[in-house]
Amino acid sequence: MGDKSSYHPHPPSWATNFLRWYCRSELVDEVEGDLYELFQRRVEAKGLRRARLLFWLNVLMFFHPDYIRRRKEFYSPNYLAMLRHTILLTFRSFQRYKSTFFINLVGLSSGLACTLLIYLWVTDELAMDKFHERDAQLYQVMQHRVQGGELVTSTWVPGLTAQTLVEEMPEVEYAAPGFGLDQYTLSLGDKDVKAVGQYVGVDFFKLFSFPLQQGDSSQVLADKSAIVISETLALNLFGTTENVVGKTIEWQHEEEYQITGIFADPPRNSSMQFDFVLSFKIFLDENGWATRWATSWPETYVLLKPGADVHALNEKIADLITRKTNDEVAHRTLFVTPYSKNYLYGNYENGQQAGGRIDYVRLFSVIAVFILLIACINFMNLSTARASRRLKEVGVKKAIGARRSALAFQYLGESTLMAMLSLAVAVLLVQLLLPQFNEITGKQLYLPTNASLAISFLAVTLFTGLMAGSYPALYLSGFNPAKVLKGALNTSVGELWTRKGLVVLQFTLSIILIVSVFVVYKQIEFVQNKNLGYDKDNILYFDRVDWEEGNLETFLAEARKIPGILSASSMGHDMTGHIAATYGVEWPGKDPDDRTEFEMMPVSYDMLELLGVEMKEGRTFSRAFSTDSAKIIFNEAAIEHIGFTDPIGKTVVWGNETLEILGVVKDFHFESLHEQVKPMMFWLSPQRTWSVAVKINAGEEPETIAQLQSLFQTFYPGFPFDYKFLDQEYQSMYAAEQRVSTLSKYFAGIAVIISCLGLFGLAAFTAERRLKEIGIRKVLGSGNWNIVYLLSGDFTKMVLMAILIALPISYFMAQRWLEGFAYQTTIPWWIFVLAGLLALLIAWFTVGLQTVKAARVNPTVCLKDE
Amino acid sequence: MSQRNHLGEFEEIVLLTVGILYDDAYGLAITDEIEQRTNRKVTLSSVHKTLMRLEQKGYLYSHMGGATEERGGRKKRLFTITNSGKDALREAKQLRNALWQAVPRVVWERGNI
Repeated sequence: MGDKSSYHPHPPSWATNFLRWYCRSELVDEVEGDLYELFQRRVEAKGLRRARLLFWLNVLMFFHPDYIRRRKEFYSPNYLAMLRHTILLTFRSFQRYKSTFFINLVGLSSGLACTLLIYLWVTDELAMDKFHERDAQLYQVMQHRVQGGELVTSTWVPGLTAQTLVEEMPEVEYAAPGFGLDQYTLSLGDKDVKAVGQYVGVDFFKLFSFPLQQGDSSQVLADKSAIVISETLALNLFGTTENVVGKTIEWQHEEEYQITGIFADPPRNSSMQFDFVLSFKIFLDENGWATRWATSWPETYVLLKPGADVHALNEKIADLITRKTNDEVAHRTLFVTPYSKNYLYGNYENGQQAGGRIDYVRLFSVIAVFILLIACINFMNLSTARASRRLKEVGVKKAIGARRSALAFQYLGESTLMAMLSLAVAVLLVQLLLPQFNEITGKQLYLPTNASLAISFLAVTLFTGLMAGSYPALYLSGFNPAKVLKGALNTSVGELWTRKGLVVLQFTLSIILIVSVFVVYKQIEFVQNKNLGYDKDNILYFDRVDWEEGNLETFLAEARKIPGILSASSMGHDMTGHIAATYGVEWPGKDPDDRTEFEMMPVSYDMLELLGVEMKEGRTFSRAFSTDSAKIIFNEAAIEHIGFTDPIGKTVVWGNETLEILGVVKDFHFESLHEQVKPMMFWLSPQRTWSVAVKINAGEEPETIAQLQSLFQTFYPGFPFDYKFLDQEYQSMYAAEQRVSTLSKYFAGIAVIISCLGLFGLAAFTAERRLKEIGIRKVLGSGNWNIVYLLSGDFTKMVLMAILIALPISYFMAQRWLEGFAYQTTIPWWIFVLAGLLALLIAWFTVGLQTVKAARVNPTVCLKDE
Repeated sequence: MSQRNHLGEFEEIVLLTVGILYDDAYGLAITDEIEQRTNRKVTLSSVHKTLMRLEQKGYLYSHMGGATEERGGRKKRLFTITNSGKDALREAKQLRNALWQAVPRVVWERGNI
């Protein structure tokens, strides 16, 4: 402790600071002094701990209106007058420096508009599927399966999962399967309507909050003949929702169902959109195999009891399939995940959650911040660069007693006012752009007029204003009045660096965005033009509606007679993703633990030819050989997996059939390019195909489709002819990427424009300030181009610096994005050169406009005064 | 003296204590003095508030004294009684004396009830 006489323990510093903070400045000295003295005395008498405690108590006792600072101490006593003065000065400076004002207005308002659009989109994405009343208890059952040494995750689970979970797991309150979400034809009398429907479990309406307007949630699906329809569908069919319950409607011209209830249309923020539901029991009755535990068909949703331990439940259900199949199927594990989380976090990689749509939500949030930052930097740079014009103002204000805080407040007020003006423009812009934005994003966003949105917008605006004003406020208010009034402004090295650094940051962000646009565009182009291994053009296909044996062949034979049709066939696949697969193919030497699934594709004659798939070995199915129905064709990936070196003529066993390998087709992409080509098998089974495909002669589409339609109508009266084009469906697989591509193009463009506006303002200002210097240089014989070079040099250096920083970052980011595709385009080096050059050229052009003007000035004009 | 400048009991004690301490009358010293002489517990903050009120009424004049080490380098505010303060004290004393004299002697001399 040292010498006692000279040692003074200190009172708690937090308490002292608190006192100094609240106490009026003319009183703080005496109060603190008294308390200090008292404290020292108490330390001797009562010990340090008690003394500190009592010190706190004393400080609190002085916390009294008489001692607390008045508000007027924070601001000038003439608070209102000062505010008026600030606003007046702000408007005057807007009027006087119009170009600066417009650069700031355009920059900030477009930046804010982008941010607001993205904000609307992000909130909409985040709210998806969250509307269900018992969202916190609503879970979806998922399945991992081991395939090729990796875990593959899917939402399909065995047909009896829901039933079993309710019966065996005490945590589960309700569970319901859902299957077959697709378009079907519903008819009332002569009226046919296409509607989206699915088979769902009895308790479906107890799990999800799709409110029933008519009917009781525990009764509507009790009967197998029941159908529950949406309000819109009821209006479409009957023109009313009154007295609809109890009526019967026809489904697919096959079955009649009785309407037992009407539900409100699913809201827009539901990822599940459907017009009617049927009982899942119908599906199980018709497809007995779906009750086998070795198969996976429906999606299954469960509602857990409040407070249920999800972790424990997951452990219990992990081996459910293994137990139910008596260890026969041991490579599939079940687990549950929150239903509303699946929308944003739907991707799994080897059993681990690996993003999903949330990646795009994050990406665009980052872009919004980038653009806003770029716009704020414009404001900062222009305000500080023009500070010299306000030196006298700052000097005089400080000399007559303005505090630094008052000045900082003035500049913050200026930037906030600017941001508020920009907000008004931005809201107008958002209103104007929303229709286009909705088209690109595929959403139905609108500007709601509610308080929470207004508060968020104002908060963003206020934040923008404060961010943009922070640096100028600190910088301008820090001048030394004596020096400033003498006319000397020492532009410090640090300040120059800050301004340059900010420009470099702006351009770095812009270049990153430019490169991203290029890379996304290249990959999309690659995806569109990649040789998929089959010819997707001019192929039209539609779902089969008639399942009578033999009818399909007759229809196809008739269709082939239409002149514009080159070929007609049918398949059990749609070429745009995984449909159904089996691991039941056996061959000599197969590893018993091998659960690799082979994609199943039943076909009619001519299908492989129609798709233009190339054969690697052997031949395709032919009418010339009657035994072809006992044969099988594999793709290269399958043969490679099986390991046959000379496959033609060898046999494999599938189920209880022995099949001879007839041929091997070259690999083609039947899933999106995010996926590797997987093993696939083809066999001749027209009865198991469900998609009729025709190849149309290019250029004769309209008349051919008309003829095909009339043929379809004569064969299947009452069914709407609803067809798709394979190439369009292919493109829709990349809807998300297309969206990113389009949006990033716009956002990058806006970022570049805002950056350039800032550069333009800075260049104009520099040229103006160096006017005298330019005049003298010209008098001394400098040429115009020398001067342009002199003025652009600085800016060139900044942009080059930005290029150096941005390219490695953007390369890294591009690589990461492309890793999501199994088949990627290469990023050619010239993309980076191009992006850099583009940035440089735009910058030169922007700066050039100003510098050329400055360089051509007549020296006698600019040197005549002073 | 007018009604509104009436001295409260505690105000009177504080004002008198300022007089007692003469040239070293500051917050803590006054508090100590009152505690010793009246044998009652008073808090520094209540004394301080009273001092401020008295100064506002014009009974006290204050100036900042020197900083010392035992005060952590903080100055003390030293109080002196102003003329109107003295007047107020006299007034209070006279009022009290008058009241004393108005009490009939018999009150004091009769025994306890």
